[in-house]
Amino acid sequence: MIVRPCPWRARQLHQLWRPLGFKRLQSERAVRSDRRWPGWEVVVGIEVHAQIKSQRKLFSDALTCKPGEKPNSFVTSYDAALPGTLPTLNPKCVQLGVRTAIALNAQVQSRSAFDRKHYFYSDLPAGYQITQRYAPLAKGGYLDLSSTRDGVRVGITQIQLEQDTAKSIFDAHRRITQVDLNRAGSGLMEIVSEPDMRSPEEAGDYVRTLQAMLRAVGASDGSMELGSLRCDVNVSVNKPGHPPGTRCEIKNLNSVKFMMAAITSEVFRHIDLLERGQPVPQETRGFDEAKAETFKLRSKEDSPDYRYMPDPNLPPLLLSPEYIDRVRRSMPELPRETRARFMGTGLTEQEAEMLMAVDAGREVRFDGEPARGAVQYFDRLAQGRSAKAAVNWMIHELLGQLAARKETFSDNPISVEQMGELVDMVQCGKMTGTSGKTLLRHMVTSRSTASPLILAKELGLLAVSDHDGSLLKDWCLEAIEALPEEVQKVRDGNVKVMNRIMGKVMQLSGGRVKAGDVRQMLEDLLRKS
Amino acid sequence: MPSYGVNIAMRRILGSSRNARAVCTTPDINALVHLSKTPPTTRHDGPLHGMTLAIKDNICTASLPTTCSSAMLAEYTSPFDATAVELLRDAGAQIIGKANCDEFGMGSLNVNSIYGPVVNPYRPADVRNVPSTVRERRSAGGSSGGSAASVAAGMCAAALGTDTGGSVRLPASYCGIVGLKPSYGLISRWGVVSFADSLDCVGVLARSVDTVKEVFDVILVYDARDPTAASPELRKRASSIVGSCLPKMFSGVQTNTLDGLRIGIPHEYFPLELEPSITSSLRTIIRSLKDAGASIHPVSLPATQYALSVYYVIASAEASSNLARFDGIQYGLRVPPPPGASRSKPSTVYAHSRSAGFGREAQKRILLGTYALTADAFDNYFLQAQRVRAHIKADFNRVFRHPCVHLARPESFLSADGVDVLLHPSAIRTAPRLAGEQDGGGEGRDMSSMDEYLQDVMTVPASLAGLPALSVPAGLGKDGWPVGMSIVGQWGMDELVLRVGRVVEGIR
Repeated sequence: MIVRPCPWRARQLHQLWRPLGFKRLQSERAVRSDRRWPGWEVVVGIEVHAQIKSQRKLFSDALTCKPGEKPNSFVTSYDAALPGTLPTLNPKCVQLGVRTAIALNAQVQSRSAFDRKHYFYSDLPAGYQITQRYAPLAKGGYLDLSSTRDGVRVGITQIQLEQDTAKSIFDAHRRITQVDLNRAGSGLMEIVSEPDMRSPEEAGDYVRTLQAMLRAVGASDGSMELGSLRCDVNVSVNKPGHPPGTRCEIKNLNSVKFMMAAITSEVFRHIDLLERGQPVPQETRGFDEAKAETFKLRSKEDSPDYRYMPDPNLPPLLLSPEYIDRVRRSMPELPRETRARFMGTGLTEQEAEMLMAVDAGREVRFDGEPARGAVQYFDRLAQGRSAKAAVNWMIHELLGQLAARKETFSDNPISVEQMGELVDMVQCGKMTGTSGKTLLRHMVTSRSTASPLILAKELGLLAVSDHDGSLLKDWCLEAIEALPEEVQKVRDGNVKVMNRIMGKVMQLSGGRVKAGDVRQMLEDLLRKS
Repeated sequence: MPSYGVNIAMRRILGSSRNARAVCTTPDINALVHLSKTPPTTRHDGPLHGMTLAIKDNICTASLPTTCSSAMLAEYTSPFDATAVELLRDAGAQIIGKANCDEFGMGSLNVNSIYGPVVNPYRPADVRNVPSTVRERRSAGGSSGGSAASVAAGMCAAALGTDTGGSVRLPASYCGIVGLKPSYGLISRWGVVSFADSLDCVGVLARSVDTVKEVFDVILVYDARDPTAASPELRKRASSIVGSCLPKMFSGVQTNTLDGLRIGIPHEYFPLELEPSITSSLRTIIRSLKDAGASIHPVSLPATQYALSVYYVIASAEASSNLARFDGIQYGLRVPPPPGASRSKPSTVYAHSRSAGFGREAQKRILLGTYALTADAFDNYFLQAQRVRAHIKADFNRVFRHPCVHLARPESFLSADGVDVLLHPSAIRTAPRLAGEQDGGGEGRDMSSMDEYLQDVMTVPASLAGLPALSVPAGLGKDGWPVGMSIVGQWGMDELVLRVGRVVEGIR
């Protein structure tokens, strides 16, 4: 069946077929001709390994560690696979895995189990890796890609928990391999997608969307630069309407850019082989970043037998519906939910996007602790206050001040309490907006933790308590006296010049009076005399 | 094989131990391989204060090497104490040294050891006057042979062993002492070097049931570091069942009254290879138990015939996995590849260390286990073995009166005509002669390699089902060497098994 490029029709079919329970066919999605390879369809599936952001490792007490720490300093006897040691499952890793599964709309399995995958390598001290081959933590699910408007939905096959390996570094100069066990035994989630992507761009979008989602639920840093997110990609190529081609797996891609380049290069390689009438051999390949080419690691025949075995030390992981429900209820908000909530409180789309973009750069905290980013800051600031005022002060003033100092939101020294007090003071007239901005600048610069009220007093920024308007009157009279020419012009009908006199009053008062009041007073005084 | 360290060890024991007299009468049994230099200060208020104990050399101790009798770990000392060792020390016990064993617990005769075989210290009545140099040397059994021999020779009051398929009960039987393999999961395995995780149990050996119980009670503690440890709730459920049936059976002033106790004799436990004199020992025991008020019931455990095959597939598969960590990279023996040898893959580099570090038996089992786990063989061997293992467990659940607390609805298995315990010989024979003996004549058979595997035929089913099993001395065989009888109970009924064992022990 050849389906013409018609996204609308594809969506219709999609919606029709789903409820009927048809197994999704590869050709279900409309084939969009790609200028790079007209007449060919590309099929991509991705396995993502995401490091779980837990304080401790998957099966030991050792703290998890960031790259760059002193080698072999985050290691217990279990991580080093010393004889006589046994694993103890870290419940925090399970919780973050379940969060991820829920966010990916997957079915968390009431019973999952751990298996050993055997191979000899210097970065694997026990000679096996504990993973979940036969009974994964979660099955089925999907992720809607964010940027595309035509609703691409990527199926998730399964999510499994497993151990990360150590790191082995080959010292070419001394011709030795050095092993660093800091990473050994850290928790990983392997997230396996269905072969639902049709272009390198969709693959890139999938990884970026997944990254944002993992960060939002606090399950992982999702940082490819730091190695906390790594991808293996399966690529095949076929003529539209024909069965899928032979797939090749490209291992260990460590940036979205390189992943997309690897897929593109692999697609051209497959097409080149097929057009010359040669079959594509099933292979595992690596990616040479300098040449932007994939290269053969091993063929299907050389693929190792990992001798999977149920781990006899770890009992099956049984998760009750109550537990899964508890995790579901304690889930952080997903990005699309946050966006919707913000729009509901009267924020503009731009303001919501701005807050979320700043929030996306926050640090993901250990063990799924609530995030301390811009969204949380805003939520606390807007509590009991006008959302509009809160967002204005946050985006325009606070972020503006930080940006002027080339700082990011994570450097923000102002607590929510300080900020709230400041906003309240302006809102209730204790301080003018201008004074508020001055005070905020002072606080950002001095990194003072004192109450804004005290600081405002010290700096003389409080609005004058001027119930009978005598102070204001004095300042206005002083201004009138100081600017006789301008006064004359106003009297002659040039109302614009009034602003200059008002400016003088502001200057005299140190910005502590409201512009409206000044205008009123000046008009009164000029009319009288 | 070199037996370094051993002679020095023996000399030290002879010179310093207060058990020197016992040692003098049984020199050079090769039971202990590392000795505590200074007796550590022990707690004076502990329940085991002053008790001397030997620890099998596959149980980690921070103060003494833990070699598992393997060249691979000949230089290895663990940075930590096993939980069981920690508990013993805290209770005031004095650890005298580490006991010889089969390499990584793999063997039934304690001959697979870099320290050489353990010699059974038992002396039959008719050879009491024969000098030790010309006396027949018999095996102490394995794999906890050093643990059993050190107790039997009086070097210590008790010893810790490990039992994967009979490694505590078999040597206890051969040496004429008591050996307990507790229910799987009751004693922490933290610090026990894994052979086959799903079968390994820490066991206790001593000269009397009471001493075994004293030690057992101290180490019977839930430990969160062992993921296979039975949960506190499970322990509570099991002990409430024991508690409800014990007072009925052991009531009255006379503790040896067994009124109401139902003992099952499984008929699959009388293979052709069983020595006839052992059957007559069993008959004597049965008569006495009947006299004490117990009723005897023949029972059938039909899946027993497959137990040995299942055991060797599962145990070897797990061993091949557990022993993968010994690669000579971080610790253990390291043999660099000779010049010109391939270094293309890590496995080709490790192969040199592993070939030199593992003995013949360990290598054999690693290869067998590796094969059982390959993609082609996994279904037919490993999975099939797991299925049969489930049958073996179901067999036991059918014959016992008490429910298995592991099952979701244990009541459904409660049977009025079930038995409280099973009774059967611990081994098919008395201690076999050590190979390589000069006086090859007479009736003593040399062990062929298949015979060695057959030794476990009586003990393996309880291991596969994770049940408590106690071997108690039960008189002598025709050759004048000790015979052992095993009492096996439902999971968690260790207390009941020990009580019955004490009665059997009293029958002489």
